[in-house]
Amino acid sequence: MRFRGFGGFAASTLVAGAILWSFMTTDVEFSRLLSAGPRIAEFLGRMFPPDPTVMREIMKGGAETLRIAILGSLGAVVLSAPLGILASETMVSPPLYRTVRTLLAFIRAIPLILVAMLMVGAVGLGPLPGIIAVAFHATGMLAKFYAEAIDGVSRAPIAALESAGAGPLARLRHAIWPQMAPVIARDTIFRFELNLRESLILGIVGAGGIGFYIQTYVRSFQYDKAASVTLAVIVMVVAIEAINVALRRRFA
Amino acid sequence: MSPAVQIDDLSFAHPGSDLPALERISLLVPPGESIALLGPSGAGKTTLLALLDGRLRGWQGRTSVLGASLDPDRPPLRARRPDTGFVFQEFALVERSTVLRNVLNGRLGRMSPLRALMGSPTSHDLETALAALADCGIADLAERRVDSLSGGQRQRVAIARCLAQEPRLILADEPVSSLDPARAAEILTLLTGAARARGATAMFSSHQPDLARRFAQRIVGISGGRIVFDVPTSDLSEEATANLYRDTERMPGVGLRAVS
Ligand SMILES: Nc1ncnc2c1ncn2[C@@H]1O[C@H](COP(=O)(O)OP(=O)(O)OP(=O)(O)O)[C@@H](O)[C@H]1O
Ligand SMILES: [Mg+2]
Repeated sequence: MRFRGFGGFAASTLVAGAILWSFMTTDVEFSRLLSAGPRIAEFLGRMFPPDPTVMREIMKGGAETLRIAILGSLGAVVLSAPLGILASETMVSPPLYRTVRTLLAFIRAIPLILVAMLMVGAVGLGPLPGIIAVAFHATGMLAKFYAEAIDGVSRAPIAALESAGAGPLARLRHAIWPQMAPVIARDTIFRFELNLRESLILGIVGAGGIGFYIQTYVRSFQYDKAASVTLAVIVMVVAIEAINVALRRRFA
Repeated sequence: MSPAVQIDDLSFAHPGSDLPALERISLLVPPGESIALLGPSGAGKTTLLALLDGRLRGWQGRTSVLGASLDPDRPPLRARRPDTGFVFQEFALVERSTVLRNVLNGRLGRMSPLRALMGSPTSHDLETALAALADCGIADLAERRVDSLSGGQRQRVAIARCLAQEPRLILADEPVSSLDPARAAEILTLLTGAARARGATAMFSSHQPDLARRFAQRIVGISGGRIVFDVPTSDLSEEATANLYRDTERMPGVGLRAVS
């Protein structure tokens, strides 16, 4: 009890300290904070009514976002297949799969938007850095999922095929793959949905897609157009979510 | 001709277990014989059969199968493995694949590596698999997925896969445990008949002494990892069988040991 009491006290002190520190070290002045509310309201006011003439840009940007998500996902699948095998406990030795898993954890830890900024620096503006960034970022999760799919496979039929004289590749193809395929399909679709959702904003850092138009219109003070594009992004996110729910039901 | 199985002073403990699962076993099985292993749960039947299939490491003693000695430190050469067929107690089928696919899996060790990988059997492979299905009375289930089958049907698939492998030594771990008495007799007729027809040796474990008597020429009783009797079927007394199961009756639970 005493320890718990002390722990509770230490935790609240820490939280309170962190909040005070945050107020002190940024330029969050009380007066600015007070005026922020009306300013946001005014900003939102300037977004109304949304300008519907940007339909063409929305379609173009949306299509590019979809292409980034598709090609990025494809790249992630291609990278995740070998990395998934190398991260699996049942396929490789402990030092190897531990190393690969650590690498994947590092990849997952880097936010997509950061990867996209670096890629824009490396290969220039446009959808290409977006595709590379999505492929790289998604591999961190997808390869881990693939490894788990491999490790979740029942061992008995694999041993049976080995006993019958089947080699490692034949065992992979005829005992492991049939058990794994539905899991792989589900995980890949799940990751594709995330990729689509995350690539909507890639354009903000210049990595292609619909986010590019939001950034352009905000920078040029065309808030009504920015509003239309933002609404379109919201509609797309909801649509993706609806499709995802339907797919989940299908795989349940 | 070399014996189908030759075991000299074999002992084995499962990794992480201090009790030996097999203790100083010796056994000589001439080719073509059908031999039954009887013994209470935990006696070591599965362990002995798995060891002969080359799946266990770290045993002591000398063991050879079909004229080739097994190495306690490494698995047998892959080329030799198709000659020993195994019917698993828990079937070990690929649940999401069809019955025919599962039976064709028994042919993988006899196909070229490329065919095995592509899953494209030769017409001979296919005929052998279909014949095994027909022999086991499940030709009409060929296209069904295993996860839609009953326990008895799965058992037949497991046996068909083993027969499709065309082994010279058939090791069957309780191959009829999921079947009703009539079906059990039918399957053992099939298994021992198929073995005899191709001059193969059959070794099966069972919990049913009457079936062992009917289908084996020789019966080996195992209890607590030791062989307690090894006799031609005609010499097996009711008393010996009764004792085999009685020895462990007073010790229920894990790690059953004979009091002999
Ligand atoms: N993987 C394992 N790890 C540790 N101990 C094991 C393992 N498999 C079996 N054993 C032990 O080895 C002994 C022999 O087991 P085995 O499975 O060979 O018995 P069995 O005669 O086949 O029994 P049953 O009739 O129940 O199938 C038992 O005491 C069991 O607990
Ligand atoms: Mg057993």
